[in-house]
Amino acid sequence: MRRNILVTHADAPIGRRLIKALYYDDRVDRILAVGAGPPPNAFDRFLASPDQRVAYARVDLARHRSMYDLFHSTRLDSFEIDSVIHVPPHGPREDGPPQLAGLAQRTAEARLLLHHCLEDSAIRRLVVLGSAFVYRLVPGNSNRFTEQSDLDLSADVPAETRAWIDCDMLFHGALHDDRLAVTLLRSATVVASGGFVFMNPAFDDQTGRCKRPIGFDPMCTLISDKDVVRALSLAAQANVTGIFNIAGRETVPLSRLAEWTSRGELALPGPIFAGVSRMLHLARGQRARSSLGGVQQRYGFTLDTSRALRELSFRPVYRIGRSRDGDGRLRLETARA
Amino acid sequence: MSEPTRTPSKLPRKPRKKGADDEPAALGSNPFDAAVGPDPFVQGLSDLGLSTPLEPPAAFFEGIDDDFTAEPSAWRSAPPLAEVESSEPISGLEAFVPKDVMRRVNALSYLAEGEATYDRYGFSPEVTRRAFPYLWALHRYYFRVQSEGHEHIPSRGPAVMCSNHAGLLPFDAAMIVADTVMNTDPPRLPRSIVDIWAGSLPWVNVLYARGGQIIGTRENCADLLDDGQLMLVFPEGVAGVRKTIADRYQLRPFRVGFIEHALKARAPIVPIAVIGSENQAPVLYNFKGLAKLLGLPAVPITPTFPLLGPLGLLPYPVSYKLVYGEPMALHERFDDPDSVDPDTTRALSLEVQQVVQELIDRNR
Repeated sequence: MRRNILVTHADAPIGRRLIKALYYDDRVDRILAVGAGPPPNAFDRFLASPDQRVAYARVDLARHRSMYDLFHSTRLDSFEIDSVIHVPPHGPREDGPPQLAGLAQRTAEARLLLHHCLEDSAIRRLVVLGSAFVYRLVPGNSNRFTEQSDLDLSADVPAETRAWIDCDMLFHGALHDDRLAVTLLRSATVVASGGFVFMNPAFDDQTGRCKRPIGFDPMCTLISDKDVVRALSLAAQANVTGIFNIAGRETVPLSRLAEWTSRGELALPGPIFAGVSRMLHLARGQRARSSLGGVQQRYGFTLDTSRALRELSFRPVYRIGRSRDGDGRLRLETARA
Repeated sequence: MSEPTRTPSKLPRKPRKKGADDEPAALGSNPFDAAVGPDPFVQGLSDLGLSTPLEPPAAFFEGIDDDFTAEPSAWRSAPPLAEVESSEPISGLEAFVPKDVMRRVNALSYLAEGEATYDRYGFSPEVTRRAFPYLWALHRYYFRVQSEGHEHIPSRGPAVMCSNHAGLLPFDAAMIVADTVMNTDPPRLPRSIVDIWAGSLPWVNVLYARGGQIIGTRENCADLLDDGQLMLVFPEGVAGVRKTIADRYQLRPFRVGFIEHALKARAPIVPIAVIGSENQAPVLYNFKGLAKLLGLPAVPITPTFPLLGPLGLLPYPVSYKLVYGEPMALHERFDDPDSVDPDTTRALSLEVQQVVQELIDRNR
């Protein structure tokens, strides 16, 4: 069955790659890409293609009105969208004011998207990319999480992680809907060729510097952005619902990841971390976006991906390492094994 | 409220054209550059013609190493020593270590894979190689370890090594690890299970992880044994290290978790007796209340601590003897080891405790 898919945040790195993958997927008929910014240059040939399989729309996904207009537009109707792949905002962003009733932008988008997907009877499938940093970490580098592991619902969770958890719980609540098939993929740290890192709290500020307390070097499970896109594509076509952990084959210490991605590392004693975090909280009047010295900068984890292998047939094929670029510098690359 | 109606599609359906540009992306080019041709991995996805429910054809996994998911029939092991090359010493002390010993340490790199050269628990062959000369020096000159019974350690597959524990600091674990690496063929690295509290200690948690030691959660233990590795446990727990000199070599009650894991993984249990660790830091008294208040395992009084400060916790240069007992295949007694009741598990734990106690009493 050929699907017509709506992709959110298609102008973001993972979204752009997903659009490219879906365009060449014979099982996908039409693609409606939405994003906050203008259409990326990479989409020019898709948008100019005579078959008009791809369209792009600028939509503020956190605004009620713009989402309402999108889901009641003739474009959505003409494309006969039956599946939605939600790629949440990822990577460092500027802080912005709360978009909806004091919620983080990510949470506001998730709520609106889920609401409209449930309301629109034509949409049968919703695939969501989430983060594996929602799990509750205990001291040590060897936390291993299955889909049944506990989420971190403690009160002192950083704001960014809280947003991921809120989104996770929102979609989790819709898993058993009679009409809408929801699949939630909890992803490890996503890396892309060229040294890009997404969805890791330690790289989550505007400077992109890696933060960790002295004396701790948590292990980070990695996955290539290409494997993430493969997983999303598989989930969009599969007849299964539920939550799946996805991860690649490499697990490296945070310091090594910072080295591979050519980012400066900021290691401070733990008590200073906590103090700086509190000062930022007082200065900004809101909880700091990422806690300096939280458990995610101390303790690592790995993911049990056996369910994804068994039910989605997802198996990571891209290896992550370093190679020399045209200037002779080593940089992070992902390549098919 | 009436359901929204769909207007008929107004877009003409035309056959899709493949991209004319078939040149592969150059290394180092921007993957999102519009000039880049179709992504080969995307073409591969379409070419496979996968249909739901998904049954990926064999070609989907072409070129992928099959050791990614551990299968019982594919337990990894170190290569034969004859195939392991010696390497140039990277630290001053390594020059004094016999080459055969360092080849054994080099052989352990099979546990990590890829350029990252870490396993998923944080074990680093490189860090282990740098630290092992110090372990060797302690093993040979400080504790003067004598050991016997290495033939009882399985050469392949999962096993639970179970030992008594004493001496405040875990030098007994370190000596068991070093001794096993140096005396098994192919070399095997016991992954000792450490208390969850150790994971919160700065630097210590990293050192443990890089040396292959693992926080003892149920999932980690199960994964280790499923992966066919050696798991080193001290079932006395913290109660073992803080017992006073009056109770030396008297085992504290064993916990049952290691029995459950051994039964589920069909792994034999190798009892180990460590003689000497009880004297490396004789505890005269333990302030239990103060330890609980401070969140520490123990606040001991020894002949040198707190007299000499933190240095007083260092072990005395006692002589160690390690005795590996005959493996106990407890799982073979049951048709369905997964359904053993708690009372039986407790009885099995007691049996293993008695075996270790006998080993200790016989070799003191």
